[in-house]
Formats: sequence, structure tokens, C-alpha cells
Amino acid sequence: MPRGEGAWLGPVPAYRLATVRVCLAVVTLVFHVPKFNGLLDAYTLSAFHVAPAFAWIPTPSRGAGIALMVLQHVAAWSLLLGWAPRVAAWLLAGAGAYIMALDPEHYSHNAHFHLTLLALVGCASDRVPLRRLILGGDDDARTPAWPERLIRAQLAIVFFYAALDKALSPDWGLTGAVLTAPGFVPHAPGLAALQQLNQAVLGAIPAALSVATIATEGALAVAFVLPSLSALAIALSVGFMTYLEFMVRPGVFTWDVLIALLVLSPAADRGWSVLHSPARAGFMAFLLQLDWLRRLRWVTSIATSPSAAGEVEPAGAPGTLHLVSPRHRVFCGLGALCALPAVLPGPLLVALVLARFGGGFLAARGFGRWDDLPFLLLGAYLAFVCIERARAAARWRDSSASNGCAHAKAGQILDRSRGQR
Amino acid sequence: MPHATESTLTGWRRHVAVAFIALWLAIQLAMPLAQKLDLRAPHSPYRYARYSWAMFSRLVPRYEVSLYRTRAGGGPEPIPDIDHWVRGYRSPEPMPMSAIYTSEGEVLDRFSGLVTAIAREHRDGYTYVAAIRWTVNRPRGAETVEVRADATR
Repeated sequence: MPRGEGAWLGPVPAYRLATVRVCLAVVTLVFHVPKFNGLLDAYTLSAFHVAPAFAWIPTPSRGAGIALMVLQHVAAWSLLLGWAPRVAAWLLAGAGAYIMALDPEHYSHNAHFHLTLLALVGCASDRVPLRRLILGGDDDARTPAWPERLIRAQLAIVFFYAALDKALSPDWGLTGAVLTAPGFVPHAPGLAALQQLNQAVLGAIPAALSVATIATEGALAVAFVLPSLSALAIALSVGFMTYLEFMVRPGVFTWDVLIALLVLSPAADRGWSVLHSPARAGFMAFLLQLDWLRRLRWVTSIATSPSAAGEVEPAGAPGTLHLVSPRHRVFCGLGALCALPAVLPGPLLVALVLARFGGGFLAARGFGRWDDLPFLLLGAYLAFVCIERARAAARWRDSSASNGCAHAKAGQILDRSRGQR
Repeated sequence: MPHATESTLTGWRRHVAVAFIALWLAIQLAMPLAQKLDLRAPHSPYRYARYSWAMFSRLVPRYEVSLYRTRAGGGPEPIPDIDHWVRGYRSPEPMPMSAIYTSEGEVLDRFSGLVTAIAREHRDGYTYVAAIRWTVNRPRGAETVEVRADATR
């Protein structure tokens, strides 16, 4: 739980759950609904069925199947837009559970987790529809905390049992047999070489990596329930999920975990200051629409001397984006762009999900390995980070830039009115 | 301000929320454990199961299944309406499949039920066959299993 927020039944900023809902709705629209509607379509077109999980579950007719398919689409769009989102989320969760119960072949752990998240999002009463999330400048919406807490607990439960299962399974434990088996996904040239290297490492020390995987999942289970370890949980999860996606591309699981991590993020704290330059008004307006978690605080550059309002003193390069973190670290230009993903995780996740599943759609139709698009974006991001690091190292000798910003001293960027100095 | 009232749980809403949280956590903690552990098993109680968060926990068994019909002394013939019975199935060529979330018994039950249903419907004197060959990570049973159903006239 982010610091300063109360217990399970107390109020928390509503923007986290609203952002989780929007991201989850996008995954539902681009992956879950097409998959489950496909299962239902094939099921209702088949004359033979195995017995459902429970004898009392009715088998859908073709007409009922089509109606349920349409209903799932409507519910997914409704969830995205924030129109009756609780009804939509529970409808999707219920329909998914029904389809999974019809045939054991319909089950998957990943889909099970997705339905679980949908049910928990269906408990949220954030009242922040998509339009308000994007266009509203407000930061006062509050909602009961318990759905967020349950998502955290659910993450811990999933990773605890995943670790326990691997510890007990004869194919993991001290053998690591699963890690040496085929099943690694193909990648585009370049990434394929990295995958080969990965396979070689896994083949060389499977037992050690099996134990490391179990330990990682166990550590994640603990980190999810301890508020003081939220930052560790986010960092470890992002690393682990990125590796999992690279290694086996497990459908929706990676993205669902990354989306669920949003509940660990601070929200509505306006902890990041953005130096607003009139020359970049268009860009700033765009940035405002991406600030779904209400983390950015806008300060305007109006003079070259300390302002009367005590707001901020300007940087030396008009038009350059400047960000000041809650820990008073200054980022500018490329460095600020590199810091933005940490501040704007919701829109970033939506973009990555669209890249992954849009790319997957193209890859499945023989247009090349476009499903590697998220890794290409990640590679480009890391390249920017490396360039920025190199530039920061080169500037290191200049004491005026020791805060990471070449344009201004920290004291010029920081807002005295907030007592940051 | 609707948010002021919605964000603070009082009265019956509070009791409902607490009951829901307790029920949710109890189910989420107990169900995977019950699925994972078969306490009546003679050896290790651990088993791979659905609804237990057992992601990537075992080597996935893979198999090929050939669905065809045959007469006495004759060779395999395609089942003409196989796509009507199960959408996407083919006959008589082998179809590669995986038993990622199902047991060997469930696989056998599925195809046994399928050929029985087809034979019962057709009643054309053919024998309907599902030949299952485990190709990768074979379960304990035989490598090849055939289930047959006679479509008596």
C-alpha cells in the first residue's frame, strides 16, 4: 500500500482502480473476448460435448451462444468506457467462468487469473469513467480501499501457490526439467540470438535457475503483502514478467500481472513537478491527458528570477521538459522522457498491450514477428536510458549539473513553496 | 459529492464488504491447496491440477489423435461429418494436441465419448476409432491407445 493510505475499508484515491479497469478492459477487448468467443463459437457449433464441470450447468444453444458473445463484447466496451463498469466486469467474469466450466479444454491458469482480476475490478466503486480519467483535471475522487487490497492479496496468493507448485513438482525442484524442455517461443532475428543464449544458460544450470525461479516467486508473494516492499515488488515483478514474456510469451498473464501492479503505485499525490513552458503548451496538454494516476503537478515558467508567487524559478532552456521527482531529483530533456514511464504507467501499459496483441494478430497471419514489438519498444527505451546515462556521466564534472539536469541547478528547478529545499 | 459517501463504508455496506473479503480470501487460499494436494494418494500427495495456480509446473504431455472409421478387413476411412461433431477436428489424418490442463484419463474419456456418440448416431456397420499416440512427455500409460465403438445397424 502506498504510504499514508489507510486500512482495508478506508478511502484511497480512485484513480488506481480506474486505471487498472481501463488497462484490463483493453486486454479483455484485444485478447480475452476474442479467445473466449472463439471457444464458445466452436462449442455451440459442435454436436459432441464432454460433461461440464458440474452436472447442473446448462449447455448453451447456438442462439444463446451468439447472444453471450455479443454480450461479452458490449460488456468489454462498457468496462473500458466506465459505463456500469461493475456490472460489466462481473458479467465478463461470470461468462468466462461459465465458458471455462463447459469443457476442461477451455481452462487455462492465465484465463483464470484474468477472470479473477475482472471480478475484483467489479468490486470497485471508483466512479471515474474513461472520459474523466483522461480529460478530468481532478484529483479528489476517492473509493474504498478493499478491492485494491484484495488485488494485492490475490497477487500474493497466485505467486505463493506458483512457488509451492514448483517446489513440489518433480519437473521443477532440484531438477529444473521444465527449463530444459522445448517450448521457447521464436523471436525475430537479433532477439532470436538472445533466446538461444537464454536456452544455453538454462540448459547449463537448470537446477540453480529452478531454485532461483521458486525463490523469486516466493519473494514476490511476500513483497506483495508487505507495504514497505512495494517498490521491490514492482521492480522484481516487471523484471520477472519481462523475462517470462520473452521466454514463453504466456498469453495474457504477463500483462495482467503488470496491470495489477498499478495498485502498488502512488496516486493523486501530485508528487512529480513538471516545469510548464508556454512554448510547449500542446505537449503539456497531451501529457496532462496521460496522467491517469494524477501524479503530475504543473508549474509555469514565467520569469528568470524568483517568482512572486514562489512557484518556481525557470530553467535555462525554454521549451525543455523538466521533471522533479518526489525525492527532488531533477530530470530534463531526454532524461525526463526516460522517467515518464514510471509516472504514466497506465497509458504506457495500454500502448504495450496494443503493440503486443496487435503485433500478435499480424504475426499469426504470417506478416512477420510483430509480436516482438514490445521488446523493440523496450530496446529503444533502454537505448535512450543508456544515452542519457552517458550524457549524465559526461556532465558529472560540471557541479551545476550534478542533479542530472544540464540546464539548471536543482535550486532553480525545485519549488520552494513545497518545502523541497 | 458522491465520492465522499461512496469512499467511506458504513452500516450494512461495511458488513457486506467484510464478509466478501473474508469469503474471497478463504476460497482463494483453500481451493488451490485442495486441488494441489490429493491426501488419499498412496505416494506423494502433490498433483498438477486446474484452479491451483500451477503455471508452467509440469512438462506438457503432447499427443496425436487419429479419428477414422473402418470395416472388417478394410483400412481407415475418413469420418465424413467429423466437423459437425467437433468443430475444427479432421479425419483421418493425425491431429497434434496437448494435454496441458487435462489428465490422461480425461483425454481418453473425451475420445471414447466422441467415437461412441458418432457410432450410436450412424449405425452403419462401421467401427469408429480414435487412435491416440503420446508423442512428448508421455503419462504413465501405454504410448499408443485405441478406443473403438461399433456402429451396429
